[in-house]
Amino acid sequence: MHAALHDIRVTFGSLTAVDGVSIDIEAGGIHAIVGENGAGKSTLMNVLFGLVKPDAGRIEIDGEPRGWASPQEAIASGLGMVHQHFMLQDEMTVLENIVLCAEPISRFGFVDFSGARRKLAQGFSEHGIAIDLDAIVGQLAVGQRQVVEILKMLYRDARLLILDEPTAVLTPQEKDRLFAILRSFAAAGKSVVIITHKLDEVMEIADHVSVMRGGRLISSGLLGGTSKERIAREIIGGDLPPPLKPQPREPGAVVLSVANLTIASRAGHVGPLSFEVRAGEIVGIAGVSGNGQAELVQALTGLRKPAGGTILLAGRDVAALDVAGRRPARMSYIPEDRPRMGLALGATVAENANAGREDRAGFAAGPFLRRRAMADFARDLIRRYNIRVGGPAARASTMSGGNKQKLVVGRELTRATPLIVAENPTWGVDIGAIDFIHGELMRMRDAGHAVLLVSTELDEVMALSDRILVMFEGTIAGEVSGGEATRERLGSLMTSRTGARAA
Amino acid sequence: MKLGDGIFAREVVPWLAVVFWIAVVLFVLVELVSSDFGAAVQGFIQGAFGGRRLAYLMTTLSRAALITGMALSVMLSFRAGLFNIGGEGQLVAGGLVAALVAVLVPGPPLLILALSILAAMAAGAAWALLAGALQLYVGVPLLVGSLLLNYPIRYIASYLVAHPYRDVASGMVQSHLVPQATWLPYFPGTRLDIGILFIVVAAIFAVAYSHTTVHGYQSRMNGLSPDFARTVGLPVNRLALQTLAMSGAIAGLVGAIAVFGIHHRYIDGMLVQPLYAWTGIIAVLLVGMIPWLVPISGFFFAAIQTGAAGMERTAGVPKEIALVVQAVIILLVASRVSGALLSSSDRKAGGGGDA
Amino acid sequence: MLDLLFDPSFFASVPRFVTPILLAALGGALCERAGVFNIALEGFLLAGAFAAVLGSWFAGSAYAGALAAMIGGILMGLVFAEFNLRRGGDAIVVSIAINLLAAGLTTYLLRAIFNVTGAFNDAGIVGFKAIHLPGIAAIPFLGPLLSGQTILFYVALAMVPLLHMFFARHRLGLRMRATGENPAALQAGGVSPKRVQLWALVGCGALCGLGGAQLSIANVNLFVENMSAGRGWIAVVAVLLTRGRPWPLFAIAVIFGVVDSLSFRVQGLGMPQQFTDMMPYLATPIVLTALSWWRRRSAQ
Repeated sequence: MHAALHDIRVTFGSLTAVDGVSIDIEAGGIHAIVGENGAGKSTLMNVLFGLVKPDAGRIEIDGEPRGWASPQEAIASGLGMVHQHFMLQDEMTVLENIVLCAEPISRFGFVDFSGARRKLAQGFSEHGIAIDLDAIVGQLAVGQRQVVEILKMLYRDARLLILDEPTAVLTPQEKDRLFAILRSFAAAGKSVVIITHKLDEVMEIADHVSVMRGGRLISSGLLGGTSKERIAREIIGGDLPPPLKPQPREPGAVVLSVANLTIASRAGHVGPLSFEVRAGEIVGIAGVSGNGQAELVQALTGLRKPAGGTILLAGRDVAALDVAGRRPARMSYIPEDRPRMGLALGATVAENANAGREDRAGFAAGPFLRRRAMADFARDLIRRYNIRVGGPAARASTMSGGNKQKLVVGRELTRATPLIVAENPTWGVDIGAIDFIHGELMRMRDAGHAVLLVSTELDEVMALSDRILVMFEGTIAGEVSGGEATRERLGSLMTSRTGARAA
Repeated sequence: MKLGDGIFAREVVPWLAVVFWIAVVLFVLVELVSSDFGAAVQGFIQGAFGGRRLAYLMTTLSRAALITGMALSVMLSFRAGLFNIGGEGQLVAGGLVAALVAVLVPGPPLLILALSILAAMAAGAAWALLAGALQLYVGVPLLVGSLLLNYPIRYIASYLVAHPYRDVASGMVQSHLVPQATWLPYFPGTRLDIGILFIVVAAIFAVAYSHTTVHGYQSRMNGLSPDFARTVGLPVNRLALQTLAMSGAIAGLVGAIAVFGIHHRYIDGMLVQPLYAWTGIIAVLLVGMIPWLVPISGFFFAAIQTGAAGMERTAGVPKEIALVVQAVIILLVASRVSGALLSSSDRKAGGGGDA
Repeated sequence: MLDLLFDPSFFASVPRFVTPILLAALGGALCERAGVFNIALEGFLLAGAFAAVLGSWFAGSAYAGALAAMIGGILMGLVFAEFNLRRGGDAIVVSIAINLLAAGLTTYLLRAIFNVTGAFNDAGIVGFKAIHLPGIAAIPFLGPLLSGQTILFYVALAMVPLLHMFFARHRLGLRMRATGENPAALQAGGVSPKRVQLWALVGCGALCGLGGAQLSIANVNLFVENMSAGRGWIAVVAVLLTRGRPWPLFAIAVIFGVVDSLSFRVQGLGMPQQFTDMMPYLATPIVLTALSWWRRRSAQ
């Protein structure tokens, strides 16, 4: 299928997400659309897929002008899209997920599962895909779940497949498997579009590359006609800024000491884990999401009881304590899921800012609240962290994502506890706030606090950490010091494990 | 003024629509019993607000007090994110204990009264805590546990006043009268007992608690987002149990007021038949848990119920019409208060932060 | 005393108590799997019971009563759908309202149509007859249980495997499971979750209606005010406990039915009525405690 977009323009209120973009997607090739967050790549493809109606421009499929009233029409015409957040039913089987909403029916509305199996078997052998159709989707690894999403498209005879940031959650092995499948699709004459910001992968798999920046198309052409450096420059519109390098520091006393920590998890157990974090250093925990980091953070913060091992925090074994037992004067936590865990969206900024404060005298007199003191405290946070919000009495839900995170970060960091646990602290946050939060974490480190940074963003971990621990399949695969860390070194640790683990 | 947009269309018209539909339902139902609509309306107004020397109005107020008290009890729980629908059981526990203590324990009347009320509040609190314990230690969702517990206490109370503690001479299924000196006095010149003052005090307490105390603030945070409360280290289990105890205590207090102010004994079914607890729940839901509107809502529903009784007396319209009208009101208004309280994820996990 | 409790007539009585709970719970299962938090089963049952008497009395046939019962239940389901699905009212609020509505309306209409209060017991009500299966009746213990019941019991029994197959293999059943689990994903696939939920409510109404018919025109032929007497709530508990899975639901409904009929029996032996009334409600937390204790044991 040959798709062409002409002069597409999309605005959301005063924001122009896509500004007059024309792009050609050839049949039988892999086309990468690259750019930073917010460049407009996803929006452009959402237009092609019928999720977003453009303000101007037109779509042509195989030379015919087309328009969709909904994604269903696009699907019926042979398009398919795999989004970043999978749309799967975790408690149903792979086969059920694939046929859902396009079920083949026999008598009385009963589903013809064997017919579906036959059709899929064909696709399996053609493209070298292997998956257990009767497995429960919720129990599959992320890479396999993505395969299910792809199979959904295949089952509906998609001829143009769009994948939005497909490798964000994959291990390198899974990425290789995916790319093999995509190449097979291309060879069979299907068109594949990948939206990504990972240059290495573009160089590896794409036939065509289009670069977007700020809603505009900067360049589009064969991969052979450009270079990695040129693409990088087109993405940022200039040269890369020099990386933030932490001032080397002598770390102080041990603040957090974890020994043989094991945590029960859905896939088995995580651990045993042993490591230390000292005052005045940032220890980064890198790894692809789903390798035990979430369980580790829950065990450290007290949200989940560990199965075994010790956690020594400022000299005290806290493994048996719950959150309320650990936080006072010892630990702060910046959660990844900030709308759910970091804030109470229905409450005011002042109420959010003062939640979890230990110094009761600061916001209460006996059993009563001191509302004025609470508002002053909130105002102080707003000022110091440059949070854009109406005021202490404004609802937390009125803030933008970046400002919500700043409030959470501010609230936690002002407690100035010996240990700070930051979990994907800049996920989904705009560029300006990212730099700010990184700066704050560095500041805490320089002031002598121990920071444990758990992040799936390799760049972030590499830029901030003094030491990096890589987690893979529930154990620490290796440790690399900040100065020696390279993407290759970390990447290889993320895919293998040192230290024997029962096969 | 254009009818299509603006404040008028958004705020006023929907309420007018509610009133319109209520009127339609009322009309149809009254016609069904071939009654005179005019007489029915007259009977309603008389039954709710009139009567010789405003006797019926006093009844409405007295009923409103009980409904409002139950509404307060429920409000405290709901605002803390706790789906405690066991108010009926807590109410019965309180009323039963109040009556029995007053009947069985000798002593100066004022002391007995105070003791009975405290015992009633303790009984209500204990019954609520039982539901909380079922969730915490056995994993029974609060919604289910509190609901289930409504029944055993109802039957226990029924049994106790049908056999061991029955006032046999009276010929009815009820306890003995509590000592006359403990009866709550009436407001001068009326037949309205001062129990309503207790409710006022309870209301002031509930509002003050919610907005000026640390405990109330933490409970509200937990109600808004249990995940947040846990993450920030709030003692969620302790908060839940304490809130349940407070809810139950208020319900128990309402039971005691019903005993000492109105019936002066415990009569089988006296707290269950009039649906005080369920009316309290819908009264709270109607006004989206806004505290200062709750008494108005309570009065509103009390008027519907006493008015319906008046309709039956005057025009022969079955008083169950009140149930139908209340249900229709809630249905019509339900969509406007949606989102104010409950999200299904909390319910599935059993409330209170488990996930 | 034990043999008094377990004589054949006890077995014969168990299905009478199991059927309404089972039917209502199966209806509730449809809603549960489809993500509709319907706790108005009590109201649905009561509406069905009243409608059954209406239909039977006016048309002179039990089957007309059963049909009317299903229609009555479906009407309640549509009311739920209108205020919860279409207007976005919270499901718990709508459920409470429907329970009140059913209680008020059935009592009101009892007065309005039949001019009685309390109970309506009339020769004009035609009930279902018992069906005797000669071969089966001879089996010890199971015989009186399986033979001599009304058709509604057999329908209820058949619905268990039917519903199981429905969820596993039918297109609508699959979509219901998807709606309950991840409606956004279903919507992305082009199917309206609300449409699916509407069907769940209709099915729930029909099944609960039949359950109500079992109450009023199956073994006794009368309607009593508030006849459902808490059975709808027991069905709600059963659904919540089993998350709407048909076979576990069947097991729980049987347990509750047995307890219910036991309490009825024991009453005849002189225990105060209140204690026997309490039994199902006490049994539930006890069963739940035992279940959770057992689950904790097996997890170790």
